Amino acid sequence: MQELHAARGEAAPEAGAGPALSARGLSRRFGEVTALDGLSFEVGRGELYGLVGPDGAGKTTAIRALAGLIRLDGGEARVLGLAADDHAVRERVGLMPQQFSLYRDLSVGENLRFFSRVFVLPREVYRRRAERLLEITRLAPFLDRRADALSGGMYKKLALACALLHEPEVLLLDEPTNGVDPVSRRELWALLHEFVHGGMTVLVSTPYMDEAERCGRVGLMNRGRLLLEGAPPALIAGFRDEAYEVRGGERDRVEAELARTPAVRAASPAGERLRIVVARGASAELARALAPLGATLAPVTPDFEDLFLSRIREEEA
Amino acid sequence: MTGPVRPSARVQLAAIFRKEVQQTVRDRRIMFMLVVAPLIQTVVFGFAVDFEVDRVPTLVVDADRSATSREDARRLLADGTLLSVGEESSAEAASAALDAGRASAALVFERRAEADRLSGRGQEVQVLLDGTDPNRTTVTSGAVSRFFSELGERLARERIEASGQTPPAQLRPIPRVAFNPGLATAPYMVPGIAAMLLVIVTTFTSAMGLAREREMGTLEQVLVTPIRPVHLLVGKMAPFVVIGLVVVTLLVGVGTWLFAIPIRGNLGLLLVGTLLYLLTTLGAGLLISTVSANQQQAFLGGFLFTIPAVLLSGLMTPILAMPGWLRPLTLLNPIRWYAEIMRGVLLRGAGFADLWLQFVVLLVIGVAIVAAATLRFQRRLG
Ligand SMILES: Nc1ncnc2c1ncn2[C@@H]1O[C@H](COP(=O)(O)OP(=O)(O)OP(=O)(O)O)[C@@H](O)[C@H]1O
Ligand SMILES: [Mg+2]
Repeated sequence: MQELHAARGEAAPEAGAGPALSARGLSRRFGEVTALDGLSFEVGRGELYGLVGPDGAGKTTAIRALAGLIRLDGGEARVLGLAADDHAVRERVGLMPQQFSLYRDLSVGENLRFFSRVFVLPREVYRRRAERLLEITRLAPFLDRRADALSGGMYKKLALACALLHEPEVLLLDEPTNGVDPVSRRELWALLHEFVHGGMTVLVSTPYMDEAERCGRVGLMNRGRLLLEGAPPALIAGFRDEAYEVRGGERDRVEAELARTPAVRAASPAGERLRIVVARGASAELARALAPLGATLAPVTPDFEDLFLSRIREEEA
Repeated sequence: MTGPVRPSARVQLAAIFRKEVQQTVRDRRIMFMLVVAPLIQTVVFGFAVDFEVDRVPTLVVDADRSATSREDARRLLADGTLLSVGEESSAEAASAALDAGRASAALVFERRAEADRLSGRGQEVQVLLDGTDPNRTTVTSGAVSRFFSELGERLARERIEASGQTPPAQLRPIPRVAFNPGLATAPYMVPGIAAMLLVIVTTFTSAMGLAREREMGTLEQVLVTPIRPVHLLVGKMAPFVVIGLVVVTLLVGVGTWLFAIPIRGNLGLLLVGTLLYLLTTLGAGLLISTVSANQQQAFLGGFLFTIPAVLLSGLMTPILAMPGWLRPLTLLNPIRWYAEIMRGVLLRGAGFADLWLQFVVLLVIGVAIVAAATLRFQRRLG
């Protein structure tokens, strides 16, 4: 990908570079639903920022706002210092939407060629970039296959290739690994790191916590707002709660007891066992309550998922 | 410094055009709907809308059984408008046969018909008519009246001549019908049908086209590219303009061949008129799709536009027969103007000097609709 950037030449990085992306108090309602509720965050140039949150948190709406695709009820979305819906930013931003957004009845090659034409790339430039993109996405053998005949993973790679053809400075990716097998998923993340290494700014949304950990910085979204933001290691280091595994006991009765205890912030099955997040200092009392049920607590190292589940629970309580 | 390539509208338009063609040509059903269906429909409708009335099934009730009643019935049935389908014994039986739909008209000669005529008292012939189809009824009763009034006139003349006097001069209007001397329906109707099919096909394809992009999610990907809305819309319309021109050419060809429609004027002029007409119909489709969230809504919108447009175009009901308050609406109806251009060019050999108003009106309507669609079409998903 660095080669691609070299091909562009020095496309004058903005003097006094402000943030690549800035969301300030974004609000948007759809009827009764508040999709964005005063969402604010910034993504610096060359940063890999992860927008993490459960289904319906407002990730897609936030990304569409930054792509200038929706009307806002309030707030301001800016890209590279310009309003998000400014015509001038479009050549500098790439978007890979969450849902299918390429022409299903066109082939891989036709889709690529179409977007290169709409971006007015000279034929030579298109040929060079398409070759490189087909190589890194390993789609070259499927050039003539219709887009709707691709597997989920191949489709996502094609969508990525289409979003990258014009070599955007800022790339917006909405759940790019949704429906993608683990191998392709790892490849996709490797690509993202390569892009960022080459100077691109990447905003990626994901519902997967393990993916959040691969970002330079993450923002945890819930109900249209940011609950938490920072670099993953720093966030885990600042985590105040404790994580445990509950072993033994009859599952239903243990779960009932956990549900009854306010100090238990989150509980999720981990194989045969339950993984829980407990407020700091409340574990001793919980252990006493669980003892009669034949269950014991074993401390584990808190991870990202614990952190997010706990914060979302706290927020909703 | 090699800055980013400046977007060029021409390349973008061509990209949208090419993509639209690829998608359309690949979709057999759409191609069928666009090209073959209008041809078949023109042929079918061309034969179906034959408004000439002939061979009206007629019963004869001859209670008189005289030489004159037999002769009258024979001559009346001979001209082709009425077709004898049998006899009945009484007016009641004939009326029942009309109710049952076995005939549409009945001629009833009363018992003393011949005697009444010869005695000079005057003779009455009863005509029973099925009024379900007013046009047919009017034509049938007209044919019977004409026959008997001519007969009466002849009898009167004979009587006057027999008495040695000079009969009064005859008064008879002689209509001379220009352009369509045989008063055939097809040459008049087929251009109208073509205009109607064209509006339906093109409005729906363009309304559905943009709605499909919205529904399939492709609009989201296109909207983040540097293409401007007007280029996107024009690029999407362009292939259908080409298809529309091809379809019109085919329709005129079929009309000439099957329905003996004359081509008296300049076909180039007709194609220019078609171009303007397509601007209005495709523009209307785009306008519909800008207010539709999905293909289903666009489809409904298509109906809400095309059906009233066809009904209020003068193709079905003469504009002069519409209520006064409705008539001005037809001035905004592209079908009306295009049908006038088609009939003018094909049947009358009219030139631009005769039809400039129609051209100007279509152009104004077309530009207004496309402008409205472009303004309504926001670079937004919601
Ligand atoms: N166009 C729309 N019309 C109505 N409601 C909408 C629309 N777009 C989003 N919403 C609602 O706004 C809320 C946030 O939706 P959004 O798609 O932004 O969430 P998300 O975080 O992307 O979820 P997911 O992980 O499921 O993709 C949801 O409740 C959704 O139903
Ligand atoms: Mg989403």
